[in-house]
Amino acid sequence: MSHYRSKIDRRTALKWLSAAAATTLAAPKMVRAATYVKTPKGYGTDPDMLNPTSPWDRIMTDRQLQTTAAMTDVILPEDAPHPSPSQIGVPDFINEWVSSPYEQTKEDQKVILAGLDWMEAEAMKRFGKSYADADEGEQVALMTEISASASAQNDFFLRFRKLTLGGYYTTPVGFKDIGYIGNVPLEHYPGPTEEMKAMLEAKMQAIGI
Amino acid sequence: MKQSTPYDVVIVGSGAGGGMSAYILAKKGLKVLMLEAGRDYKPEEETPMFNTNAEAPLRGVSTPDKPFGYYDATVDGGWTVPGEPYTTAPGKEEFMWWRPRMLGGRTNHWGRISLRFGEYDFKPYSRDGLGVDWPMTYEELAPWYDKTEEIVGVTGGGEFHGANLENTPDSPPGILHETPNRRLHEIMLARGFESMGIPVAPMRAAIIQKPMNGRQACFYATSCGRGCSIKAMFQTTTVLIPPALETGNLDIITDAMVYTVDMGKGDKAEGVTYIDRKTGEHRHVKARAVVLAASAAESARILLNSKNGRYTDGLANSSGTVGKYLMDTVGAATGGHIPMLEGMPPRNDDGMSNSHIYVPWWGYGKQAKGELPFPRGYHIELGGGQRMPGMGIAGLANYSDTAFGKGLRADMRRHYGTEVYLAGRGEMIPNDDCYAELDPEVKDRFGIPVLRFHWKWADHEINQATHMRQTFVELIDRLGGKVTWGGETDGREAIAKGGEIIHEVGCARMGDDPNTSVVNKWGQSWDVENLFVFDGAVLPSNPDKNPTLTIMALAMRNATHLAEEARKGNI
Repeated sequence: MSHYRSKIDRRTALKWLSAAAATTLAAPKMVRAATYVKTPKGYGTDPDMLNPTSPWDRIMTDRQLQTTAAMTDVILPEDAPHPSPSQIGVPDFINEWVSSPYEQTKEDQKVILAGLDWMEAEAMKRFGKSYADADEGEQVALMTEISASASAQNDFFLRFRKLTLGGYYTTPVGFKDIGYIGNVPLEHYPGPTEEMKAMLEAKMQAIGI
Repeated sequence: MKQSTPYDVVIVGSGAGGGMSAYILAKKGLKVLMLEAGRDYKPEEETPMFNTNAEAPLRGVSTPDKPFGYYDATVDGGWTVPGEPYTTAPGKEEFMWWRPRMLGGRTNHWGRISLRFGEYDFKPYSRDGLGVDWPMTYEELAPWYDKTEEIVGVTGGGEFHGANLENTPDSPPGILHETPNRRLHEIMLARGFESMGIPVAPMRAAIIQKPMNGRQACFYATSCGRGCSIKAMFQTTTVLIPPALETGNLDIITDAMVYTVDMGKGDKAEGVTYIDRKTGEHRHVKARAVVLAASAAESARILLNSKNGRYTDGLANSSGTVGKYLMDTVGAATGGHIPMLEGMPPRNDDGMSNSHIYVPWWGYGKQAKGELPFPRGYHIELGGGQRMPGMGIAGLANYSDTAFGKGLRADMRRHYGTEVYLAGRGEMIPNDDCYAELDPEVKDRFGIPVLRFHWKWADHEINQATHMRQTFVELIDRLGGKVTWGGETDGREAIAKGGEIIHEVGCARMGDDPNTSVVNKWGQSWDVENLFVFDGAVLPSNPDKNPTLTIMALAMRNATHLAEEARKGNI
């Protein structure tokens, strides 16, 4: 697999940097920031919703990010016309998530970073190469193993899959795949088509309601 | 700050009660000052319309900074406000208190459900001997509901109009906006309920379906909880405050945290004192009348903190009931997966943010016959469909036998839109165990004593929560589905925490008797004739039908009364 390049553009990276700088440098001087920020290094209680930023440092090593990219693409392989998660930057989102200062991502951070290191070590041991460089069959074999509920790595698998699927299907690319066709202004709300209603009617009658 | 002419009225708060009061009083020609504890807020400029979760930090999930998610239109608040704590009395059940710090208050992110209280709801004590009656009837408030709905813009009419259900009043013809078509899962849920003998009604929500007063009609996209820059969803910041400002009779000061009502000569209020939240300065403003609309518990806090040598238990508290009879709504919910919906073609399930149907309480007859172990009703809110994916979408993988790979992609598609939820919202009866008082120790960052809450659900509410869950489990089973969460039918486990449904009301209830109530039926203090409470604090009971519409109808009626009294020179 080719080396994963972060999909975060320079403008976004600069935004993070300036937001992080604003938090760490300006906060002590500003009554408002010092008082209102509930989670240190979080985005605060009154963030700019039209220009969102995640003002925290990313903590994954490049090796962990490469393993992340490879794993996301094994979980949801490219299925034309639907791209794979790494093609639309989902690994960056997983990095953002495990790097977050918020309490509810702490357990994910611990389990996922340890899990990524385990995958890497296991791939080196079994295949003599990084997980990201292993061939498809090898990648699938290891993924199959940890997806079994009996596996000691199953908690890691489930947490990682949750982030992969959530990260993917919350994007316009994911919308197209899963069939979300909303978020467009309409003059009238059509509701389901007559054909759909007939399909439902048949199903309801089949169970006697 | 020297104030040359006193205002006629100072209003504390800019939410449902304060916004409506300012609108009426300014239109009637009174000089009004509105004080809001939070910052200025402009939905037209700040609302993240159409933004996807992918554009938000952490895909928009809830965090301690934004407890209802990144895009939720709550500024500097939520279950906690930094530097402004509240406490739960030791050994009592937890009470949760949602507060924002922004102009418009909770109307910027409220649930928009706008049900009228029914005739039984005004006389609950007379019906079953519990709680207290209101000092008014449904007929007295009905014209004010009409006028409020005309200004707010409420959907709920059309194809299913005129259901004539018991204690579930409809609006006169022409007021309600047409209800949009039912979504696929709503057609299914309605059939399921009807198979149980439970009628379903069109949802009444404060969202407009036709343009009015410079507001655009709902265009069926992007969630109302973010606020609404096209003003289709009711917020005081887009609907009531701008026209009040246009009269030239309203001034607004934001970041003004009021903490006392100040008394002048005799038993008359002279004005209020607030803290400028930005500078920490204390400022006093004078007015001929004071209207508290800071939210039920905050209005009570101001009254309690206004104690002095003459009023040792707090202002307007000769009855000893300020802070008492605090109520919330009973809540319990259940989720299910319905295989019947698998593989149905993609459809646009956005609609208006609210569901297009709901289930009014159907058990009045059984309760009258003593066949149910709880005396008051609940309604059911519901949801599902192919809505814009958030992180919760990952849960669909639980229905798949394929752990990963192309097969998982196909299963995600197949199961998208197969999940539904049902949420009961029930009446709580006021009791002696639920109240707010000043905490003897804890103060906020300004040095002002904070509220300490006492809470205990009674069996009336717990049994109701049991019934909610039993109903939901039965419905999901009838639809051939599986309960995925909230299947526990023990009401004690099922019931939401006090305050969690964010319908807290009471604390300064109205009544006919000065010994058992804080204000009369006009929201006027029995003790201080130029002091009024125009928010949810005055509600003597809390029917299942979400309180905001009624808070606004009462504020409109009572502000109109106040303006008339002022005109007659009685204030």
